[in-house]
Amino acid sequence: MPVTSIFIQTLIGGIGIGSLYALVALGYSLVYRSMGLVNFANGDIYMAGTYFGIIWYNGMVRGLHLPYPVAFVIGVLLNAVLGIIIERIFRPLQKLDMMFMLLGTIGLGYVLDNVFTIIFGATGFAVNSPLPDTPIILFGIRVLPQMLLLISVSALLMVGLQVFLAKTKTGKAMRASAMDHDVAGAMGISVNRMNAIAFAIGSGLGAAAGILAAPIVYVSPTMGAAVGLKGFAAAILGGLGSIPGAIVGGLVFGVLEAVSAGFISSNWTQAIAFVVLLVVLMIRPSGIVGEITVEKV
Amino acid sequence: MKKKMNITQGVLLGVAACALLVFPFVAQNSYEVHIINQAGIYILISIGLNLAMGYAGQFNLAVGPLWGVGAYTAAILNTKFGFPFWVNLPAAIILTGLIGAFVGLPSLKVRSHYLAIVTIGLGVAINIALLNGGSLTQGAMGIPHIQMPDFFGYPINSDQRYYYLILVMVILGFFIARQILAGRIGRSFRAIRDDYMAAKAMGVNTAYYQVLAFVVSAAYAGAAGALFAHLNTYISPDIFDFPATLFVLTLTMVGGMGSLVGSLVGGVALPILQEYLRVIQNWQLVAYGVAIMVVVIFMPGGVIELTRRLSGWRKNRLALVDRDASG
Amino acid sequence: MFLEIEHLTMRFGGLVAVNDFSVNVQKGKIHGLIGPNGSGKTTIFNVLSGYYKPTAGRIFFEGKRISGLAAYQITARGLARTFQNLRLFSSMTVLDNLLVGMGHHGRTSIWQTLFYPVAVRREEKEFLDKAMNLLDLLEIADYAGDLATSLPYGHQRRVEIARALATEPKILLLDEPAAGLNEIETKKLREILGKILDSGVTIFLVEHDMKLVMETCETITVLDYGKKIAEGSASAVRNNPIVVEAYLGREDVL
Repeated sequence: MPVTSIFIQTLIGGIGIGSLYALVALGYSLVYRSMGLVNFANGDIYMAGTYFGIIWYNGMVRGLHLPYPVAFVIGVLLNAVLGIIIERIFRPLQKLDMMFMLLGTIGLGYVLDNVFTIIFGATGFAVNSPLPDTPIILFGIRVLPQMLLLISVSALLMVGLQVFLAKTKTGKAMRASAMDHDVAGAMGISVNRMNAIAFAIGSGLGAAAGILAAPIVYVSPTMGAAVGLKGFAAAILGGLGSIPGAIVGGLVFGVLEAVSAGFISSNWTQAIAFVVLLVVLMIRPSGIVGEITVEKV
Repeated sequence: MKKKMNITQGVLLGVAACALLVFPFVAQNSYEVHIINQAGIYILISIGLNLAMGYAGQFNLAVGPLWGVGAYTAAILNTKFGFPFWVNLPAAIILTGLIGAFVGLPSLKVRSHYLAIVTIGLGVAINIALLNGGSLTQGAMGIPHIQMPDFFGYPINSDQRYYYLILVMVILGFFIARQILAGRIGRSFRAIRDDYMAAKAMGVNTAYYQVLAFVVSAAYAGAAGALFAHLNTYISPDIFDFPATLFVLTLTMVGGMGSLVGSLVGGVALPILQEYLRVIQNWQLVAYGVAIMVVVIFMPGGVIELTRRLSGWRKNRLALVDRDASG
Repeated sequence: MFLEIEHLTMRFGGLVAVNDFSVNVQKGKIHGLIGPNGSGKTTIFNVLSGYYKPTAGRIFFEGKRISGLAAYQITARGLARTFQNLRLFSSMTVLDNLLVGMGHHGRTSIWQTLFYPVAVRREEKEFLDKAMNLLDLLEIADYAGDLATSLPYGHQRRVEIARALATEPKILLLDEPAAGLNEIETKKLREILGKILDSGVTIFLVEHDMKLVMETCETITVLDYGKKIAEGSASAVRNNPIVVEAYLGREDVL
């Protein structure tokens, strides 16, 4: 196979995994910009969402095998509800120092991880794709149909989110609330409700990412740890709190990983991605898309 | 300004000292001693983390992997070159301290959650380096057959004997930390945490002290690593990954971030709590997670602050982290 | 020449905060810097103390260039400052706040800290005596062991000044030291300024309390929109039509 085809194939793989990171990164950024909370349980919420969807598809609930799209919708909705519940638990954390947010949210992550381990067992399982398992070959480039599904649905969700935030009344209220809690409160917007919606959307996107990626990755209660960390790194890379930043950051991170795995060494993939993150932050501490702020004296 | 010890405190200290000295003889079995030895190692890492995070306000979320650097330094020097513990310990402290300086350099540019992710990332990189160090680190298989130390011909070859080595190290580590905090360095650390810009205006070389905070925390992790390698006699990279950092962070916060005694309390309490929670098997970690959340939400100063609040003991309020100011 | 600012310009993006500003501060005097809100006074202080690197222009202190140095190096050269909005170290006692300011005179190394505590203790004793003297000077010695932020507001202002003096400066930059003080406290402040001047420390004062400025400063520089519009003695500045114009119709009245 010519080098360019290999490269394009790697690139598509990177965009696929990058879409996954981007959706998870959106979870961080939506919550952060809404309530100033860095939610380190986001990776575990992604894991929970994956289970919430896949169990209906995989015959894990009374042997039911619901169609994949139905399982997808159920998973996203259930995880959104989980997000609303978690927002309520995290409310006291908002005003605390970064250190406490870190630990409090990690504590919840532990709980989620282990509850799922108790219910579904520690060993993971593979999930069959609803689409054919044979790669599509286009111009000599081989791509799994599930990968295309992941990329296209993710893209749709991201566009949908942007439209929602920009055009709908709720979306605008969310933006106002994120910008200034006091002003939003004075305008009659319930800040807590906006935070809950941000959490619900973030969690729903996490579930979507997990259910779409499940046939490609491997489902287990610990699947959230690495993706959560990389999703966070992606959100930071793009500029924490920025919606386009999360998307750009996720894609850049995914492509970087895929390219470094394909052309350098898969052993060092993670390290390379983090080193790039480090370099970007050194040059632009506010991330690729984030605003540069001057320190107030 | 010096506090004088009264008689009750003196007696309590005497009792505590006796209890610490006879512990290995009254313990039910060597497993109990083993748990306490592990606790001692965690206390050392925690003291370092506390100096950096609790006092200087510098996130060092690479302490787990840095602990690994110390352990691997000792293990490699011992198994490949035949050096004894007493050479490997200072070597581990120095090398880990140096690497800690590199981990700390980004703190000059970024702060808060950005610094958190950067140090986590550098920790991941260190861990991957341990995993891919070829014949030097022996990959995922790790390094077996590390010799236990020898004290002038007297072999420290059991958990009971090792206990005293760790006890001495923890006491030494505790008092060195107190020494650091008592003077100019400690004040500069706290000034940086309280108000970074004002600290600069007061002539504090913030960059120097920030990096120093990282070096100190890394040096403690390095010492703990050498102790761990020679106690466990076998090490592998997975011991020193991000969850190790989290564990130390958790026990430090449960004990009390910004209080050295908090490190002692958390360092002993959490490993023991974990052992007791084994009874409820799988629910152990759930309970553990819930416990963390309860601590963070209801008593952010950790156990130490809680005991102060309960006893109305306000004398030491100055040692507490001021929550409002460190944000 | 003592403190000289030459053609200082400070730009933030499109905003020009300070525009081609020059001034000479004489040794042993109180020099006032006034101007309407947002005229760039605090920005000048921030450049002087090394927080911002000037876009253009140079600053000399005792004939040596200090623009471009790090903040802590500038403090070491003998420039210290206070902050308009109090920035005391909130977890520390009044005394410890001062000791931080003395730290840069410390000669003990980290190795002595670890292995030769006697030298450190000796140095601490020396610092302690100096700090207590300063607290006496500012009449807040009774509060030495209290948490700095627990003091009444007026006293916190004095701790700020004491802390800046603890760095043993040759010139003290005071950013609105009278803000929020009542009449009695302001009178006290005036006394303190006199004592500081007597101890040989030059004062560069940004202040909104015109009475205080007019009564204490020998030279006053007036700033408007980042530019110097007048300079001279109190009476000269007060009667300058350009200055009156700059203040007219704004909240501050001469």
